[in-house]
Amino acid sequence: MATFPKLKTAAVAQYPLGRTIAFQNQTLTFLDGTQQRYRDTGSARLEWEIRLAELDEGEVAAVEEFFLTNQGAFGSFAFTDPVDGQDYDDCSLRADGLDVTAVGEMRGATTVTVVQNKRS
Amino acid sequence: MPIYPQLATGALCQFPLKKVRRTRTVVNRATDGTEIKLADPAAEITQWRLEYVDLSDQEAQALRDFFTAMEGSLNGFTFLDPGGNLLSATEELTAQVWQKDPMLTVTGGIADPFGSTNAWQAVNSGSATQALAQTLEVPGDYLYCLSAYVRLSPGGVGLILGGETVQRAAGSSWSRVAAVAAGDPSAESMRFGIEVAAGAAVQIYGVQVEAQGGASAYKASTRGGVYADAHFGSDELKVTCTGLNRNSCTVNIIHANHL
Repeated sequence: MATFPKLKTAAVAQYPLGRTIAFQNQTLTFLDGTQQRYRDTGSARLEWEIRLAELDEGEVAAVEEFFLTNQGAFGSFAFTDPVDGQDYDDCSLRADGLDVTAVGEMRGATTVTVVQNKRS
Repeated sequence: MPIYPQLATGALCQFPLKKVRRTRTVVNRATDGTEIKLADPAAEITQWRLEYVDLSDQEAQALRDFFTAMEGSLNGFTFLDPGGNLLSATEELTAQVWQKDPMLTVTGGIADPFGSTNAWQAVNSGSATQALAQTLEVPGDYLYCLSAYVRLSPGGVGLILGGETVQRAAGSSWSRVAAVAAGDPSAESMRFGIEVAAGAAVQIYGVQVEAQGGASAYKASTRGGVYADAHFGSDELKVTCTGLNRNSCTVNIIHANHL
């Protein structure tokens, strides 16, 4: 199982780190205004927005290599939540695109979003 | 195939450099949130945005001439990724892309200088020097830097750049060795690798080739940074003359697997 690459400092993410918890519920509203709600999925879905800056060329290349190895959003990998250290063994990148900017030597930047896959 | 020109310094671009990777995944999302995914490797696209400032008239003219020769986005050319390692399979020295001389034994799982076990050991049991090398379809007249982390070779190692082999010392602890050279100007391919002396053993990690005059941080590479059949992303090239012998322009380059 692939794992999300760590920076040279052994950290996975930098500040600011966005962490989203998403539920998927359905709501039916009746003519009298009452509502009936139900869950569409069995559990919450987690998502981490990882913004990386001031990376050296090797760190940027590791993220790029990881993106290519996973073929964008296709691949699945293990990810450790940087907030609480909990391991999630089935995650994917959210998007099929990766933008990398190098504004100077050892000053690379990129953003990736990791999503927890729902087990079928 | 034509090759995108280097600047007078031997660099391919200036900062800032922007690179965009695009893949395509077909996703079938069910109402309960589960997803069935299908990858489409042929749809992979890589784009670079190169912003140049303070180019000399000669450098600007070289870019203009090349753009004209390519007729804008019409014709393809080879582009060497300015932010990448030109070698492929740098973490897998037994991969087919590496040309290994017969008396050389290469084994992996060796502790590398960064605390992992991604280094390799090359043992030459023969009575002549043996090499582990890759041949890249790159122009001979460019400036290249070959670098690698090496250790445990009393006789040192040879760094092969085209027809030239440069000897570098290797001690008992990891050290990064590098050599810079251009090859035969008429050559359309260059061989890069590491030469091990007869009877010697050397541990190797992080072999890297860059089309520039010095080594940057090691970048592990699977695909390699040589992009054949890249195209200009636009049919227009605007070069602004900002002063005497000072020009600036922005170039967009695209490489698509399916083109």
